[in-house]
Amino acid sequence: MLRATKLQGGGRRAFRALPAVELLVFAALVAAPFLLSERLDLITLITNMMILSIFAISFDMCWGFSGIMSFGQALFFGVSGYAIALVGRDLGFSAIWGVLPLAMATGLLLAALLAAFLLLGRKVPSVIFVAFGTLTGSYAAERLVSGWQYVGAGNGLSSIKLLQLGSFEFVEGFEFYTLAFLSLLAIYLVCRFIVRSQLGLVLAGIRQNEERLAFLGYRVQLFKAVIFSFAGMAAGLSGALYSYHQGFIGPANMGPSLSTTAVIYCLLGGAGTLIGPVIGTVAIEALSYGLSDIDAIRHFWPVILGLVLLVIVMFQPTGLLGLVVSNRERIGSYGARGRGRARV
Amino acid sequence: MANVVSVTFDIASFTSVMVLIVLGLGVIASMMGIFNFAHGEFVLLGAYTVYLSASAGLGLWFGIVAAPVVVGVLGLIMERLIIRRFYASPIIAMLGTYAIGLVIRETVRGLLGGHYESIPEPIGGAFSIGGVNFSIWRTIIIIATVAVLSGSWWMLAHTPIGLRIRGALENPMLARACGISTSRLYGLTFAFGSALAGLAGALIVPLYQLSADIGIRFLVQGFLSVMLGGVGTFSGPVLGAGGVGVMASGLPWLVPPVLADPLVFLIALVIVKIRPQGFIGAART
Repeated sequence: MLRATKLQGGGRRAFRALPAVELLVFAALVAAPFLLSERLDLITLITNMMILSIFAISFDMCWGFSGIMSFGQALFFGVSGYAIALVGRDLGFSAIWGVLPLAMATGLLLAALLAAFLLLGRKVPSVIFVAFGTLTGSYAAERLVSGWQYVGAGNGLSSIKLLQLGSFEFVEGFEFYTLAFLSLLAIYLVCRFIVRSQLGLVLAGIRQNEERLAFLGYRVQLFKAVIFSFAGMAAGLSGALYSYHQGFIGPANMGPSLSTTAVIYCLLGGAGTLIGPVIGTVAIEALSYGLSDIDAIRHFWPVILGLVLLVIVMFQPTGLLGLVVSNRERIGSYGARGRGRARV
Repeated sequence: MANVVSVTFDIASFTSVMVLIVLGLGVIASMMGIFNFAHGEFVLLGAYTVYLSASAGLGLWFGIVAAPVVVGVLGLIMERLIIRRFYASPIIAMLGTYAIGLVIRETVRGLLGGHYESIPEPIGGAFSIGGVNFSIWRTIIIIATVAVLSGSWWMLAHTPIGLRIRGALENPMLARACGISTSRLYGLTFAFGSALAGLAGALIVPLYQLSADIGIRFLVQGFLSVMLGGVGTFSGPVLGAGGVGVMASGLPWLVPPVLADPLVFLIALVIVKIRPQGFIGAART
């Protein structure tokens, strides 16, 4: 039995903002294609946002829910993107039932290997070591790929074979929008289930007091490795969708700069909330889209990103969602209703 | 034989650059327990100071002398305003300093207009001993590194301020109880580390072209050096930098250059994984 048993009745039921926000965001995503049917550019933009949201959620699973500072989340994103691009180029294969699982398996396997090296072992690794390990992995991969002719070196791989369902080919537009939406919804629901299951309860314990959990007999590092691998799988799916959608994948898509963009998405929205990363991604990408027309600002876009990150870590660590969601709800939002009070 | 000597010289000069950069990083990491992600950008600022001084007609030497001062003061201001809030949590410090670095790097990139600027060596040319040519500027970098290292060692071992720094490193709580203001020491240490980065940037800019990414290429190697040597000591990071520097400049002679960098990272990570406390830390505990 994964789901925690429901407690009957019990006290006032406070207004819960988080489910409302979740519903609102997904309702907006459902409504968007109908409202914006004239604006193909905006549809494409929102598709991109949803794909990147999956990526941001994968980072949130690591940092927000299990305290693994994955500073190299783009590694799984990029490698999966390259994998499907190469399968398309060399094998001429891009059927959806084959390539998306392939991308997810690539991310999962890679993340599991990295987790086995960084997290498991006799000595408990420090948070800093894990952060640098992931960062270094992503940096090394970027350097390696940008010098490797077979995968297009610094130019990356472009004109990637279109994603196919039967004889139908996904191009930018409503069909891809639907695919991205369904993928986001699926990943979101799975993540939501995980963090509210008994496994999520263990993760909450790890966040609060790792040592105590270890003394209670939980193999903390193993739990972290499982979540890290799962997050790698989600990032892999996101990377594959991204490269199909853009028709391009380059070394920068697996480097530290995209990895830190995921950090910014997640922290801006609010880490540890699942819906926060989606909101953060939408906010950042919308801002970037809005400012891209102004020449003077476009060149300083990374400066703005840096300032956003600085302001968040200094003044608003709970992110945008922290403005509407109370701390108590944010931290205690796992398990069945009423359980939030059990944890202090 | 001549070949071996010149390769050794290359390795030595690159290793001194690494040591110079990592010294500041390691001092800050050991004292305050934070990894300064903006360190690469302090190196960049040092290099940029030299460029500004040269283009303002003040000359290269003025820039090289001014760089550590300018970057040190900037570091002090940053520590007082921002960094000191992060001491309690290393991960938040990582994110905060990364953000600062990003802002500095991209601002300089905007100011440079995306160009690469070459800075000439203040003393160009080479001298030769026994038929082997040695670049004068690289020799100066090696000498400067040795001078900075011995100066820092002397300051730590023989001055009152060094005594306080060592005290604050060993046991911050006890140091505070003895009336040593650790907060001021931390400010000073951060300024000192930044100044070292500025000096490093000023010295290496003639070797590499000035671009916004001049510091970032050393950053990952710098972090690995600090972890390899062990946080919490002053000599550890320097030893680590020596090790990583030798590997990073020596491996391209043995394996294809594309593979050299990732291989260095892998070796360093594996060593850190096996000995998380580093070279020196292992001996102490």
